[in-house]
Amino acid sequence: MTPDQKFGPLRKGLLEFLILQIISADKVYVADMMKRLQDTDFATQEGTLYPLLSKMRREEFVDYEWQESDSGPPRKYYKLTAKGKSQLAEFKNYWAYLNTTINQLGR
Amino acid sequence: MNTVIIINLNGNAFHLEEPGFQALRAYLERAQGQLKDNPDKAEIMADLEQAIADKCAHFLRPHKNVLTATEIDAVLKEMGPVQTDGEAPAGTAASEQADTRTGSAPAAPKRLYQIRQGAMLSGVCVGLAAYFDIDVTIVRILFVALTLLTGGLWVLAYVAMMLVVPFANTGEEHAAAAGAPFNAQEVIDRAKKHYGEFKDGKEWRRHWRQQRREWRRKWHEGAYWWGHNLQRNVHTFSTGAGYGSHLGATLLIPFLAVLNALLFCLWVAAIVSLATTGGIFGWAVAGSVPLWAAILILMFVYSVIARPLRHARKAIYFSTSGYHYLWFAAWYEILSVGVLIVVCWFAYTHVPPVHDFFQHFAQNWSTMWNNVIDSFHHTASSSRTSSAAHTSSASWLNACLSAAGAAASSAFLALRG
Repeated sequence: MTPDQKFGPLRKGLLEFLILQIISADKVYVADMMKRLQDTDFATQEGTLYPLLSKMRREEFVDYEWQESDSGPPRKYYKLTAKGKSQLAEFKNYWAYLNTTINQLGR
Repeated sequence: MNTVIIINLNGNAFHLEEPGFQALRAYLERAQGQLKDNPDKAEIMADLEQAIADKCAHFLRPHKNVLTATEIDAVLKEMGPVQTDGEAPAGTAASEQADTRTGSAPAAPKRLYQIRQGAMLSGVCVGLAAYFDIDVTIVRILFVALTLLTGGLWVLAYVAMMLVVPFANTGEEHAAAAGAPFNAQEVIDRAKKHYGEFKDGKEWRRHWRQQRREWRRKWHEGAYWWGHNLQRNVHTFSTGAGYGSHLGATLLIPFLAVLNALLFCLWVAAIVSLATTGGIFGWAVAGSVPLWAAILILMFVYSVIARPLRHARKAIYFSTSGYHYLWFAAWYEILSVGVLIVVCWFAYTHVPPVHDFFQHFAQNWSTMWNNVIDSFHHTASSSRTSSAAHTSSASWLNACLSAAGAAASSAFLALRG
């Protein structure tokens, strides 16, 4: 098993928080998110991203608004809700905590 | 020439070749199936259709208004299969991309290193244990046993390894220490290479300096190790979160501790019994097996039996999500030692042979060691059963051996786990 396969579930679980992080910077639409993730280990596809975003919207972490575009049909621009912001902060704290735990155990 | 089908993707008309249309329809049907319990199904389907439409539009030019089947395939591959939570991404295009990017790294060859983490002296034993994938305690016992049986000559082998075997410094080297399967050619090549390097003496001095530095560091560290560890345990204990979920582990740990302690007692008793009477609890070993070999076999059997227990324990530690690792480890150790003490006390007060053995401990030790040593000199088993085989060996040697043996066994007790 290569690390890529092995850590697949880990990356999959983290994707949601990376999206929160990306959206936290600015309002983005899906193609932007994919572009941002493309060169990372978290490269993903519409087939995964749309269902995930719809789930996150149901959970009220993100919301979207329609915006007309110069080239083509109107696009959905995603933004964080207040709940999404606190979720992201919580995640960052927990991530830092996990890091210290891992490093401490390794000693 | 191909039939062309006109479709409507979220309000956009496209001309597709027939096979491309079939592929697209299959994709969308699968997506529908995946999303059938999703309350936002209609919206997600619309989003997906729009995304496909956007991608298709890239392939169209003023004088090219039909999408070929290969173009549709490319679009669908880019889209990736529709996945919802809890479904394993079986070979998605994303993971395929990732695979080609990193490639499957060839497994690192296995190398012998000295590993400082958990080392007593220099880390030779820990390195060997990692290399052969056995418990480090077994390696240490073997080293002590070999040292005693070769009259101290084996120490030279240890010193030689200490000086020659490199240290595992990087994570990569640590991985290689326990890495890929044994490869004899590798060992030979390395030996040749190192002989060249070590011939001119420069490498020796460097290695020796590193060794001394490491010892000094450990000496200083040892002074506050206890306080430090205690602090850490208290901290871990006080975090306290999610304690209830570890109920299973809390129940399993004592069970494992008791089992392990009992197994250990049984094993020690078996070895003592073997060395003093030549049989295990009255069951005679086949006459052609010399005593030392029988003891080695016992050690091996113990390691085989104890191993799943050890792995189970580690699995429990890891399943406790890191919070309570140290607490569980401490809990386990305390229980093990407690059971050990109870069993020893019980055996001492209630089992006459054990009582007798400890009453004349010094004499029994020398008898045992004589039996073991004799089994080396006479591979025939004749001397094994004669419990008082004080032949010509000098008594001071016996005394030394007994003392060393006692020290070794107490060191072993201290090292367990």
